[in-house]
Amino acid sequence: MKKINWSKYSKPIILVAFVIALSILRPKAFLSLDNFSNVLWSVAVIGIMVSGTIFVFLIGGIDLSIATLCALSAVVVVSVTNMLGGGVGAVLLGVLAALVTGALAGAIHGLIITKFNIPAFLVTFATQSIFLGLAMVLTNNKIVSCTAPAFTAIGAFKILGFPLPVYFMAIIALASWAVLRKTVFGRYVYAVGGNPVASEISGINVRGASIMCYVVSGLTTALGGVVLASMTQQASAATGAGYTNDVITAGVIGGVSLLGGEGTLPGAIFGAVLMGLLNNGLNLMSVPSTHAGLVKGLVIVVAVAFDAMNHADQSKKKVKKFKKTKDTAKESA
Amino acid sequence: MKQLNQTTMRRLISIGMLLILVILFTILAGAGHGKFFNFDNLIEVVRDASVPAIIGVGVTYIIITAGIDLSTGSMMALVGMTMANIYAYTLLPFPVMILAGMIVGLLCGYANGVIVAKFNVPEFIATLATMSIFRALTYIIAIKDANGVIKSQPMNHSHYTWLGGGIGKFYYVIMAMIIVVVFGQIVLKYTRYGTNLYSVGASKKAATLSGIDVAKTRLVAYMITGGLVAIGAVFTTARLQSATTAIGMDFEFSPIASAVVGGVALSGGSGDVIGTLIGALFMSTLENGIRKLSINTAFQYVIKGAIIIGVVIFDATYKTRMDRKAKEEGAKEGLE
Repeated sequence: MKKINWSKYSKPIILVAFVIALSILRPKAFLSLDNFSNVLWSVAVIGIMVSGTIFVFLIGGIDLSIATLCALSAVVVVSVTNMLGGGVGAVLLGVLAALVTGALAGAIHGLIITKFNIPAFLVTFATQSIFLGLAMVLTNNKIVSCTAPAFTAIGAFKILGFPLPVYFMAIIALASWAVLRKTVFGRYVYAVGGNPVASEISGINVRGASIMCYVVSGLTTALGGVVLASMTQQASAATGAGYTNDVITAGVIGGVSLLGGEGTLPGAIFGAVLMGLLNNGLNLMSVPSTHAGLVKGLVIVVAVAFDAMNHADQSKKKVKKFKKTKDTAKESA
Repeated sequence: MKQLNQTTMRRLISIGMLLILVILFTILAGAGHGKFFNFDNLIEVVRDASVPAIIGVGVTYIIITAGIDLSTGSMMALVGMTMANIYAYTLLPFPVMILAGMIVGLLCGYANGVIVAKFNVPEFIATLATMSIFRALTYIIAIKDANGVIKSQPMNHSHYTWLGGGIGKFYYVIMAMIIVVVFGQIVLKYTRYGTNLYSVGASKKAATLSGIDVAKTRLVAYMITGGLVAIGAVFTTARLQSATTAIGMDFEFSPIASAVVGGVALSGGSGDVIGTLIGALFMSTLENGIRKLSINTAFQYVIKGAIIIGVVIFDATYKTRMDRKAKEEGAKEGLE
């Protein structure tokens, strides 16, 4: 009798179960076309961000500044676009400015973390406060809005029925997948996350690779901010609030280990889809956003605890296997 | 002997940083009535430092074991809101209300400890999750008006609010802080539990091998923090004379930053409670000084974040340098 490896199919099963549960609980609201595009938008933003932050997770780092960097870049794109008059060129320059902001923020994270060997969560926890302050300074702590058609098109324009952000997500996820699976840099990322000391000894530029990972993460976070600002046609210091937890949770439930070296992009995208559905579900069940933290926090704890237990199991198995081979070697000798 | 010199050195550096900050603000914001440097304002600085210092004692224990707790701010809100519910809906005497708050704090700490020590979830992610869980629970049990809108619950009975005051300018919260810090330092330096904390922080493996119950040591550290958070919540609500869902927002960083400024290494195994107290005074001087300079509140976030990064960078470079120096000197002695 062959044992079925359930853990292999756990992700699709969870997803299907979730969809069925929501269809039963809120059939009219959940199964409508409008709601479908709501879910897509939500998934797209988380998907765009997690496609970049997965690089940081894979090297064993973390980014707690996602939400406020998102706010800062949203504020930057709206301010620059408004300042330059709101034409197509202005929007392009605004997006560019936001992306530069994100890349710079990522580079600063990477430089500080690798140069001084400081835990990533601490640095990003401090920069979270800095980005929030900068976003408040730039907006004078008000909401800035931008209704220029060229700008709102980023979030609302549809091709073949799907909004543009979905295509952004698809392109970025594909690129990220290709880099992780098909390039030397991708190999380095996994190696650095698996064992930084061994990677250093085997000649990998660990510092350069790590900084690069933070830059990628900053870029996608900034793009997430641009998309969010365009979708809501406004930006403030509160844009993107809650996305830090959402993105980390998406990664973790997608099987990305926060200890580094483990996880795949399809897994992370699955996590993004599940988070999008979860957000939508909580919304449809009219759970206030202030209460949603309870559910999401529990999801994080359970997912990471599973991951940690899995790790402990595997290392135990390895030790057992090692002892067995040692014993057989002794016997044969 | 060398180790002692290094710790004394680090202590002098943190005191020096505090003094420099005080002098800097005295020059920038001035001395005299209504300005930065006067007796009333300096007492105010100590008063503001008290709650972070009280909670910082527990956080110091956790950081010494190489852990972290990001959930203290939300925990404080949850404890405060629990007490507000008892205040609003029951006729129980205040000591019982405070006891209930303590129990909630200990339970929160227990939850953190179990997730971290028994399920081996990385500390920062576990407490990041409980941070949002505790905050959400606070919203759930928050007191609502007739229309279902969350309101702030006044807790202004004089039998309770006296805790927010003091004997003249000598506030009760400062007295509590002094007691907690002294007691915390004694436990850390002169009890077996304190020694165990350092051993666990230096090396979990070595601690396990030498017969220390690592999981229990960590769990107890989280529970102590929970209990101290409850004490902090009592003094905070008594001073505010109300409980809101916003209590402790952005607070969680203050005890951690205090500990780091005071020389508690985030890698674990070193630092003490007195250091954290100096760190807490540093942080509250910083906040008070910025307020006195009447800088735009938005800039306060930037300055706070930048200073924390600066201090952490300093701590990291200082530690590598000292480690290298110790190694070199050890090598020299070996040659001779």
